[in-house]
Amino acid sequence: MTEAILRADSLHKRYGELEVLRGVTFEVGRGEVKVIIGPSGSGKSTLLRCLALLEEPDAGDVMLGGARPGRAEVGMVFQRFNLFQNMTALANVMVGLTDVRRLSKREAREQALELLERVGLKDKTEQYPEELSGGQQQRVAIARALVMKPKVMLFDEPTSALDVELVREVLDVMEGLARDGMTMVVVSHELRFAHHVASSILMMDQGVIVEEAPPGQFFSAPAHERTRRFLALVE
Amino acid sequence: MVASFDTHLFWEALTSDPYWKGALLALGLATVSLATAVVIGFLLALGRGSRLRTVRGLVFFYNWLFRATPTLLQLIFVWYALPQVWPVFAGNWFTPFEAAFVTLSLNEAAYMSEIIRAGLLSVDPGQELAGRALGMTRRQILRRVIVPQAIRIVIPPTGNEFITLLKLTSLASVISLHELLTASQELAAVGFRYPESYLAALVYYLGIVSVLMVLQDRLERRYTWSSARRRRVAAPAVPVVAHDAR
Ligand SMILES: Nc1ncnc2c1ncn2[C@@H]1O[C@H](COP(=O)(O)OP(=O)(O)OP(=O)(O)O)[C@@H](O)[C@H]1O
Ligand SMILES: [Mg+2]
Repeated sequence: MTEAILRADSLHKRYGELEVLRGVTFEVGRGEVKVIIGPSGSGKSTLLRCLALLEEPDAGDVMLGGARPGRAEVGMVFQRFNLFQNMTALANVMVGLTDVRRLSKREAREQALELLERVGLKDKTEQYPEELSGGQQQRVAIARALVMKPKVMLFDEPTSALDVELVREVLDVMEGLARDGMTMVVVSHELRFAHHVASSILMMDQGVIVEEAPPGQFFSAPAHERTRRFLALVE
Repeated sequence: MVASFDTHLFWEALTSDPYWKGALLALGLATVSLATAVVIGFLLALGRGSRLRTVRGLVFFYNWLFRATPTLLQLIFVWYALPQVWPVFAGNWFTPFEAAFVTLSLNEAAYMSEIIRAGLLSVDPGQELAGRALGMTRRQILRRVIVPQAIRIVIPPTGNEFITLLKLTSLASVISLHELLTASQELAAVGFRYPESYLAALVYYLGIVSVLMVLQDRLERRYTWSSARRRRVAAPAVPVVAHDAR
């Protein structure tokens, strides 16, 4: 196993009475892709939000290469894209560079265009989110996170808000990223994608990681009854 | 045709100094009051979402104070009572215009704060989440993402507020501000020509509001982010803000 780049150490998180994360420990090595599956409400999104520092865990640490992650060092892609509605595709990708990284407009524009080209949207730069399909919006969102040069990318069900025929274009971009060696944590129930791309698959249930295994083993011989039942449901 | 309508007199009233100066005064008073109210209202709206109870309490008190009392009474209070309890306001600088400006902007701020708060809350929380994921600060997210989107929502009710304010400026006739109503009352008192005198004032109000509606339409287009911008834009869901008579 490669050296861990992102580590979560016994994360706990509760919302009032509800304990959503009950001691989650896991790590991703450089260039690995971890896919997380699990039933609704098991805490997958909460875990990703903690990793992206969008949520403060009640206990436990998140470490990126041995330190607290810095601004936008962990990129996040959301289920509902969350593109800034008042900005064009290009402006969405530029804003992090100009406002957070303090690059000049020209430089930001150059890098943003490069990223938009990489996700296949060179001809949609002046479009507003409302004018783009879901798949295009999600690809802009990926470009917006990528342009910040994150060390890790988190994806929270990136295709589950998409019509079936648009899922592929987003998964293609993600597979490309994985091939280029991006470290990724992906919550997704696209099992074929998981089989294809994942270094290992994690099963979450009721706030803990029930099991983790490489795809082959995970699908053919899951160790836990809970995983077996869940897989039967998803397939 | 009405038996006795003197078109010439009506036209004379319409173009006379007191009328168009009165109209300018009303327009100016409504504009500066609204602008000030937007600033104060924005701060109040942020205060209502504050983590500190005291801040939230103060905002509540402010809105309660200005919404639960008649605007006319507030105006009279500011003009007659305030200088007696607060000597600063007894100075020569404190004219009816200033008194009306202070009253209307403070009063309007209470209403604008509700409108602005509703506007800010109507922006999808996912927008802020995405901004934070990019490492933007709370201020940056407000300025670049949330406020522009809230403006779109806030424009139509703010247009209504402007019209309300414009009409409220006529209250200032009771503290002898020479706005439109005063102008028409004075003219009417001289010649007892009520129809011509008051109709001329009505025409000014109608004119101002019509121009405003055109401006508002333009502003709404500017804050619409799609190709629909060039077409006629459908009004988005406007948050319902309790609108009580003042
Ligand atoms: N901000 C919040 N306040 C209160 N409860 C929350 C909050 N966020 C999540 N929860 C609750 O925590 C639990 C776990 O939520 P989470 O979104 O992490 O689950 P999930 O595994 O991502 O589910 P799904 O597959 O439906 O997306 C749910 O019961 C949810 O209602
Ligand atoms: Mg989720």
